Amino acid sequence: MNTSNNLKEINASGKPYVIYKTSKGFDLFTNFSKKIILNKKNIYKFLNHKKKIKNKKSTDLFIGFFGYELLNNLIGIKVPKQKNINFPKGIFYKPEKRIKLMNNLKYKADNTYKLNNKFKLNINKNSYTKIFNRFKKKIKTGKTYQIKICTKYKTKSKIDPLDFFCRLSKSNLAPEAFMVRDKNFSIISCSPENLISRKGPFITTKPIAGTVKKNKSIDKIKALNYFRKNLKETKEHNMIVDMERNDLSRICKVGSVKLSRTKIVEEYKDLFHYVSLIKGTLKKDVRNIDIIKAMMPGGSVIGCPKISTLNLLNKQEKENRNIYTGSFGYIKFNGDMRFNIIIRSILNFKNISEISVASGVVIDSNANHEFSENYIKAKALIDLFK
Amino acid sequence: MIYVIDHKDSFTHNVVHQFSLFDKVECDNYNNLDQLKLKKASAIVFSPGPGEPKNYPITSRIYNLFKGKKKIIGICLGFQQILFCEGGKIIEQKKIYHGFQSNVKVTNNKSLFKINQKFKVGRYHSLKLKEPFKSNNFEITMRCLESKIAMSFENNKDKIYGFQFHPESFLTVNGNVLIEKILSA
Repeated sequence: MNTSNNLKEINASGKPYVIYKTSKGFDLFTNFSKKIILNKKNIYKFLNHKKKIKNKKSTDLFIGFFGYELLNNLIGIKVPKQKNINFPKGIFYKPEKRIKLMNNLKYKADNTYKLNNKFKLNINKNSYTKIFNRFKKKIKTGKTYQIKICTKYKTKSKIDPLDFFCRLSKSNLAPEAFMVRDKNFSIISCSPENLISRKGPFITTKPIAGTVKKNKSIDKIKALNYFRKNLKETKEHNMIVDMERNDLSRICKVGSVKLSRTKIVEEYKDLFHYVSLIKGTLKKDVRNIDIIKAMMPGGSVIGCPKISTLNLLNKQEKENRNIYTGSFGYIKFNGDMRFNIIIRSILNFKNISEISVASGVVIDSNANHEFSENYIKAKALIDLFK
Repeated sequence: MIYVIDHKDSFTHNVVHQFSLFDKVECDNYNNLDQLKLKKASAIVFSPGPGEPKNYPITSRIYNLFKGKKKIIGICLGFQQILFCEGGKIIEQKKIYHGFQSNVKVTNNKSLFKINQKFKVGRYHSLKLKEPFKSNNFEITMRCLESKIAMSFENNKDKIYGFQFHPESFLTVNGNVLIEKILSA
């Protein structure tokens, strides 16, 4: 099967489709027979949807995403009125067709748009520093132990999402990468972070806390040494590990929550990540809605403790996060699930592209450093607009 | 049954799982407590949590209600909550310990644990107990080896125990042993 022709054809047809990274390549899902736009009310019905049948087809699933606000609402947290582009709070699709794609996606845009790479940042360094210092005070008084400040880069630009996704995958083949192309919006992401993998009664989560950029003088062993010696990175990571253990413990059998990989380094094309893998066995009566409420929004991109930190963030942020720090993935008809954390993503809606990034405030972090860290994280995506 | 009172923390369910190794555990939010469970519980555990003791008057009330009648155990904020109810002052500290592994030592021969015994423990606290602290039957029993900050107290007469560190953290070595000992005291 000539998959690159297939890809080109589907893209040219104008049909909505979704691509999600698999261990060997990518899955493309299309021919959607249902599209569910989620809101505060219908999400319960959607998640309680019980179809305890065995998977017969590879398309017996719903694939899509939950936005940040919806995940807050689900755990009883209100997001105050914010600047809002009225992007859907969550969308899931029922595909009727799946196509397997290889890792080396081949596609070239027929008509190249003139891309606008002049991005506007919603928080300048000055106000970033102010927020940073305010949060640092909250850490000193124990209201939060770690909190992530989100900044947003925006530009008005028409893009060819498939072209973007192919180029992104070439430079950074991330294990949780995905794209969505629908009629009036697209999402491109090279997320590295898996939040939920559920197979039957078994569940894992794989938090990332700690990133170091690759260069010639640093190999995997050196990266590990860097993380181990860096007290700030170590403490941030420890906190996330205990928080994810906690979230799994809400839904797992006593004694089953275990660290199966503790603080290892994973190598990607451009960077090293400091990663742990935590697993558990689900309690008997746990439903998928319980799992989602226990685990989302993913702690590593919020801070700790989750509830009070979310409240602090929501009070602070003037603009809706939309998809950022939400989750993309699928729920199979047999109950199995896979969800990532939506980071390192571009949302293109009404010809406006937005890239959100965040970095952590802990007691010994530095505003200048974190501000430029945010820029480094955004740059890989901004560079696609060249 | 052990009743864990949750202060909306992201570590509470680690505490629940740890105590569940020894007894049946129930857990509810501090502002949504079940009177029947409170009555039935053989021990009450105050969870860790954000903020400071004066933010949680309900928990203080429960402490005063059940002191001397049931075993009460406090972890991190819970530790501070009990000391606060006993007239202690909880203050900010210069160096803050979040996600930190420290060595603590048993410094008091009235402790259930052997004097000079050391433990590697995980810490997540912005605040600490202001010393000197004195209250009837309360003994500070463990201290941080480096900073000397109070890390545990015991009141073996009224069966009240507290840890400033987190016995349930993956950073604490042999945390289950610590819990087992105070539960069987």
